[in-house]
Parts: sequence; structure tokens; C-alpha cells
Amino acid sequence: MNRLLAAAAGLMLLWGAQPGGAAELRALVKDHRGKLIANAVILAAPLDAKSALRAKPPADAVDQVDKQFVPYVKPVFVGSKVLFPNSDHVRHQVYSFSPAKRFELPLYAGTNAQPVVFDKPGVVVLGCNIHDWMVGYIYVSETPFFAKTESAGTAAIDDMPPGEYTVRVWHPSMEQGEETTARRVILNADGPSTVEWELSLKPALRVPRVTGSASAGYP
Amino acid sequence: MGRGRSSAATLGAIAALVVLGAMPYIARSDWTLGAAAALRHDNNVGNAESPPDIVGDSTIDARLSIFQLFPLGESYSVTVGGDLNGEAFRKLTGLNNASLDGTISLKKKWGLGAFAPWARAGVSVERSSYDYSYRNAWNYRATLASGRRIDERWNLWAEYAFDRRVASPRTEEAPGLSGDAFSQDSHNVAVNVEYSLNESTFLALGLLGRRGDVVSTAGDSEKINYAPRALAEDPAFGPEAYAYKLTGTTYGFRVGVNYAPTPHSLLGLGFERLNTHADGGNSYTKSVPEITWDYRFR
Repeated sequence: MNRLLAAAAGLMLLWGAQPGGAAELRALVKDHRGKLIANAVILAAPLDAKSALRAKPPADAVDQVDKQFVPYVKPVFVGSKVLFPNSDHVRHQVYSFSPAKRFELPLYAGTNAQPVVFDKPGVVVLGCNIHDWMVGYIYVSETPFFAKTESAGTAAIDDMPPGEYTVRVWHPSMEQGEETTARRVILNADGPSTVEWELSLKPALRVPRVTGSASAGYP
Repeated sequence: MGRGRSSAATLGAIAALVVLGAMPYIARSDWTLGAAAALRHDNNVGNAESPPDIVGDSTIDARLSIFQLFPLGESYSVTVGGDLNGEAFRKLTGLNNASLDGTISLKKKWGLGAFAPWARAGVSVERSSYDYSYRNAWNYRATLASGRRIDERWNLWAEYAFDRRVASPRTEEAPGLSGDAFSQDSHNVAVNVEYSLNESTFLALGLLGRRGDVVSTAGDSEKINYAPRALAEDPAFGPEAYAYKLTGTTYGFRVGVNYAPTPHSLLGLGFERLNTHADGGNSYTKSVPEITWDYRFR
């Protein structure tokens, strides 16, 4: 979906202003020990403000499967409507206290919940009031050019208008601030440009799903 | 006084049939099924004071749990559940037992999310059936608990429980002294803290207190004879063993480390140490190390 969005946005730009072909950004993210990092959001913001877009934000979805948010990290373009279908047999009560979007979906099952519009850039932490261990992240991007790394630590944003960009990376467990990862890159249509990041990750502490017999017991 | 193998086996078989029969329904419903196993060593199973009377033994414990949570609006939820439990002793086989219990609890959260303070009230009823049937009992428990997860690392809660165990009175061994040695009432408190070391490792500490009836099994001890409120033969510990029901106060602690290899399972190492001072001067200690495994199917 991210690639489609980037492609759509890129095509819109190319239509009016970029006759020279499309550029591509490739990213590789790993930690200090060389371990490849999944679920990192790669963002590319064009320096040319005119390139900051007229793309129509799409509808997106974060599912709930086996009492987990799927996907764990979901980047969306600012203004996107996000649906929260519930594929579990149990009801969920999804909420967020994050400044970028405060909302609560009262207890629901199936696809009964109203979509939520994410109209402010930033990180939105998702939770479920019934199942405390459920945590998910929506990264609301102000640029339409973004992608999420897979388990191989790689991501690609293609069909981008050539030009100068500020690229950066965000991960839910990164120790450093997102702004410290910012770099300037010039993308052209000759071939893909690759950017690598090395992140320091802190432990992703979560409420345990299974508690022992000496713990608080039944939920 | 004979062994009640058929009683325990029947209870276990019925409970197993109930659980097995329910599994297809569980698979497409909101019920959650859990399984647990534990290997323990209790260095003083009979709560005895004198070294000749102290008997240590190891147990294997297996448990199946089933429960369902019913959210009632944003603040309240009701949990209904039950456990089928079996415990086998290595040496004291007369204490082998199976139990079946049902629990219902009401939980309130003040606010949304994992960090909202909460309180819970619950009651449970359990039927336990022993290899030596004289120990069979109904166990009733009422609990009040409250807690709060401070942040991602720290979780605190406290619990009060009133336990009542009702067993069939046995023949009087001494004139005027009740033979109802295995029925007990007790008040229990615990303060617990959990600390997340990393994504999958958790440390736990609990401070425990208990006031109420205790059962010490020993020989014909004059020392204990000063204070028992009930006395009965306890052949699970041997032909000359007697169970003395006393009133006592227990303090102790529990420490543990748990590791979650997958989101659905938890491995644990624990250690519990209890010191009891019973009326009449009977004091005893016990230490219980354990290895535990918990699994939640959904």
C-alpha cells in the first residue's frame, strides 16, 4: 500500500513537473551489532515544497488478529482514514492517548468500528483496554514518500520525483530522536540510491500476555 | 479411612470429559483455554516443627484452565472460569489429588489502558479429591485485589483472600477434642511487585501474610498437644501420624523469574519461604522451589 501511495503521489508530480523519469530510494536499517531491523519507517521529504503533494490520502487498515494489532507498525499519509477491523472472536476496545491522535473505539466486533482520520503528523500508540498486552503503532507521515522495512531490514520507495530530499528513519524502540537520523540525499532517475542507518534500540517492554500462577491471575 | 482412588479418578475423568467436550465449542467462541504444569519441592509438606516429623517431597502439578472475559462497558468486566488440577506426590502418594473449581470475578478499571488502576472482587468454589479420601474437601475463596501498572517495567498489586476449607469431621481421637482437623479458615494477604527486565523476562517478588488455621502433621507430640483445636489420624504420612489443627500466623515471601519464549507461553523459576508461628509454641518453616510452565492457547 505504501508503494502504491508513493507511486500515485509520484505519478502526480511527474505528470506536471518531472519529465526526466522516476527515482528510487532504497534503505537498509540495522542495529549496532549488525542485526537487521524490521518495522522501521523510512521517510523521504522533498525539499521542494511544491512537491509536497496533492495526493489524496487513501483508506488504510490495522487489523486485530490473535489479540494483536496487525501490522505492528503502520505508516500512513497524513489525512488518511484508517479502519480497525476486528478479526478476533472477542471484542476489542481500541484507544490512543497520543497527542497526534486521541481516540477511543467503544467495544466492538467485526467491522463495526468507524474509521479514524489521522489528520496530524506524528506517532500514534495504539492499545486495547481489554487486552493490555496489545500494542501497535501508526506513524502519520507528512510526506507521501515512505515505506516500512521488512524482516530483511530493507525498504524501497520507488516512483519518486527526482530531486533533493531529507530522508530519516523512525522505529518504535529507537533510543535516539528521529531528527538525529535525518540526511540529505539527491535522487535522480539514473538508478536507485541507497541509504543505510544504524540504530540503537532499547528493549520493547510490553505487558506480558501470559501471567504465571503467582501473578495477578485471571484478567 | 481407606484410600479414595476411585473418587479422585472419577472426579478427574468427569472433569476431563467436560473439558474435552467443550473444546470444539471453545475453538469458535470467546473462551480462552490455558494449560500449566509445575514441578515443586516442599521441604516440609506436613508443616511439622520437629526434625523427626519433617517430611519433604516433590510434586508434579498439571492444570487446565478455561475462562471467558465479559466486558461490561468501559470500566467493568466479569471473568468466569474454571480449573481442572491434578497433583502427584513422589513419596506421599496418599496426598495425590485432583480438583475442579469454578471462579467468577468482577473487575473495575479507573480509566483506559494498561496503566489504569484496577480492583477486582472474586469468589471461587473448588472440590478436591485425594487419594486418601478423608482429606477430600470443598474449598471456598473470596478475594479482593487491587493494583496498578506504574509503567512498562513496574507492576504492583495487593490481594486479600479469605479461604474456607470444609472437610468431613473424623472420629475423635481424644475426648472432647474435635476430629475435624482438615477444615480450615484463614485470612491471607499478599503484596506483589513485578519488574520487566527486558521484552521477555520478568522478575517477581511477593510478600505474604496469613492468619488462621494450620494443620501440622506429626507424631504424638506433647508439645503440639497443648494447643490443638482438632486432632485426627493422618495416615497419608504414616500409621502413627496425627494432624493437629492449630491457629497460627505465617509470614513469608515469594521470588521468581519468568521468561516468555513466545507470546503464548511462560516459563518460571520460583522460590517461596514461609515461617509459621502457631499457638502452643509449634513453629515451623517451609521452603518451596518450583519450575513452572504456563501456556495460553488463545
